[in-house]
Amino acid sequence: MNPLTKLVLAGFLLVLGLAVPWPGTYVLFIALILPLALAGRILKPFLVALFKLITPFAVPMILIQGLFWTGGTPVIGEGPLSLKAEGLLFSAASIGRILILASSFLLLSLSTRTDILMRDLVQRGLPNQLLYIVVTSLQILPRLQARARTILDAQRSRGLETEGNLFHRLRAVVPLVGPLLLSSLIDVEERALALEGRAFNRPGPRTSLIEISDTRREALARIGLSVAAVVIFVIRIAWALVS
Amino acid sequence: MIEVRDLTYSYPGTAAPALRAVNLSIPRGQVVGIVGANGAGKSTLCYALTGYVPHFFAGSMSGTVRVDGRDIGKVPLGQLAAEIGLVFHNPFNQISGARLTVLEEVAFGLENMGVERGAMLPRALTALQATGLEHLTERSPYSLSGGEQQRLAIAAILAMEPSVMVMDEPTSQLDPVGTREVFAVLRDLARSRRATVVVAEHKLGWLAAFSDRLIGIHNGEIVADGTPQEVFSSERIDEWRLGQPLVTKVGRAVEVAEGRPRTGLLPVTVEQALDALS
Amino acid sequence: MNLVVDGIHYRYPSGTSALEDVSLQASAGESVAVVGQNGAGKTTFAKHLNGLLKPTRGSVRAGDWDTRRHSPAQMSARVGMVFQNPGDQLFARTVWEEVAFGPRNQHLGKDAITERVESSLEAVGLLAVREGHPYDLATPQRKLVALAATLAMATPILVLDEPSLGQDTEGVSLLGALIDGLVAEGRLVLTITHDLDFALEHCPRAILMAEGRVLADGKSAEILSQSKLLSSADLEPPVLLQLAAGLEMPARIRRISEFVAAYAERPPQV
Repeated sequence: MNPLTKLVLAGFLLVLGLAVPWPGTYVLFIALILPLALAGRILKPFLVALFKLITPFAVPMILIQGLFWTGGTPVIGEGPLSLKAEGLLFSAASIGRILILASSFLLLSLSTRTDILMRDLVQRGLPNQLLYIVVTSLQILPRLQARARTILDAQRSRGLETEGNLFHRLRAVVPLVGPLLLSSLIDVEERALALEGRAFNRPGPRTSLIEISDTRREALARIGLSVAAVVIFVIRIAWALVS
Repeated sequence: MIEVRDLTYSYPGTAAPALRAVNLSIPRGQVVGIVGANGAGKSTLCYALTGYVPHFFAGSMSGTVRVDGRDIGKVPLGQLAAEIGLVFHNPFNQISGARLTVLEEVAFGLENMGVERGAMLPRALTALQATGLEHLTERSPYSLSGGEQQRLAIAAILAMEPSVMVMDEPTSQLDPVGTREVFAVLRDLARSRRATVVVAEHKLGWLAAFSDRLIGIHNGEIVADGTPQEVFSSERIDEWRLGQPLVTKVGRAVEVAEGRPRTGLLPVTVEQALDALS
Repeated sequence: MNLVVDGIHYRYPSGTSALEDVSLQASAGESVAVVGQNGAGKTTFAKHLNGLLKPTRGSVRAGDWDTRRHSPAQMSARVGMVFQNPGDQLFARTVWEEVAFGPRNQHLGKDAITERVESSLEAVGLLAVREGHPYDLATPQRKLVALAATLAMATPILVLDEPSLGQDTEGVSLLGALIDGLVAEGRLVLTITHDLDFALEHCPRAILMAEGRVLADGKSAEILSQSKLLSSADLEPPVLLQLAAGLEMPARIRRISEFVAAYAERPPQV
């Protein structure tokens, strides 16, 4: 599937999920999202990632809302240590929305190579620089970590005590963060020089080595989904204003 | 064909010019080495030959640099990239980061140039073969060794088929194996005469072995211009702080010890030294 | 001060072996080159000398201090280390402050710090730029600032990781003279380098490493003239020894002056 279509689809699901009344989020999840994950052959990683993302929210929320809902009707347990119905319902609604939010994001990111998505967008006219920032931001963290470790080694070798009390650790910040920032800035300049040499800032259309498939049907589907999303959004707003 | 006329340039915010009244003419296909102390102006000259001065670095420039007749001071940098390439000394910082495999990295410049897909793959593969990387097409650029990364930078520029290739200390961060690999690529490039090649380097023995011509820079001025032997045998070599290959120093030391006057040309390669000393 | 490395092994957390049974004994006033290709384990080895890495087997002792019982900051009083990339440590607003960082961590008095900073900067030829910002200097000069910063700690043992990388001819000479001077003062200097010409000239002793092991340890003129041994470590003999071999001269030569003398003594060629 063309990456732009995936992006539009994910956006559509998000709008739909946030617009429907809360029990609908679960229906949407089971009826639409899970089958999509299955079709994309990412069901297992999808469920694993989803579980990891949602559980840290969901469990505390259920407990807190359930236990501390003032004036609520106990449904499980008795007295102060009971889970109240209203709290549980509230949690279910919130979790439903978070479920849709997380699912759309995960469906997109697990089924698409970011660089292919960005390439497609650039070919359609999105500025090159945006592609660059997004794709390289994903790579920055491991490099920064590796560099931070080397800097730590160098400063410890000059007598910087890093273990021990808070005072020591605070004093260690400047000699650790300073070189990280300064040398990263130099790298940025050198990288910018190199990019110029690859005609990065040349005005004009780009081509792609990798063929990114797109069909008329998909283009129509994208238009259809986008229109549907707008309509749903409008209906939802109208409903909220009226009721 | 490179024509530099009366080029004087100062970086922004500096008083002293980095290049002074430089005049230089390089015919097509020549292989030129640039030597000089750190800060003498080698890198600045490399930037001037490729348009980074004045387009990237601003500053004040007078004089002209013409490549194949065009004044590159007047052509935007993005358009120059197709004809003039610059390879820098840090292999890691030349990885664009925008592509995930070696093959895509080499094709990146071609994509930016809008080259049609059918032509891209052959050009990329030719460049990878010229740099000995054809077996690494599917690897991540970050997984390569320093020498391989530097050859990748060269391949990425080669694929764009520039008429001029300039390299600013391409082996300064590399170990002996990487150095050997890069100079082998440079030697092949030189032999094929596909492009005019200009290389600034401190590894003088290596440079002398494969350059047709050496240019010596001191304090922003060209002080020497001739064959490697002519330049390194000059009496003013210390005054100009250009350095000499070790074999040249040995040759001169033997000359001095034997009380011989300056004979003219000193050896600049091991082979020449063995010839002269046997 | 002695440095004793006793049969160290090092295995990365991932399981790959980086050092196998590496041993070394060196004493004050020695200049030792640790040579080998990238990946041979030279830097991993260096990091063991001041305790940044602890061996999985064996021990490293600087004098009577075992690296396993001291933090790297503590070890830095005895073993100074200069890293390859100046960008990994420069952070101060002036060169002076940068070089003073080490002595300050050693809790020296103001006068002592000034003396150390000025003599170190003098030694690398950068006294004139002491009030400048380190990043206003070009990369090779920044490397010298990093070197001065470690020199200022006046450690009996010094480990230099690829000091000549990226330097021009004058920079390399300066480094050579510096190492010669430090050794003459009685310090132990270990220079990790793949520049064999440099190693030959300034280090009478060489340790050849490949794939985490020590292949040879002895007089540099002898070790660096063995082309077969060197090529098994992906290296070529230094230029001076290539000339000596080509002219069938004995391989005791380390400097140009020695070459010239040996050349003069060559029996007349037919």
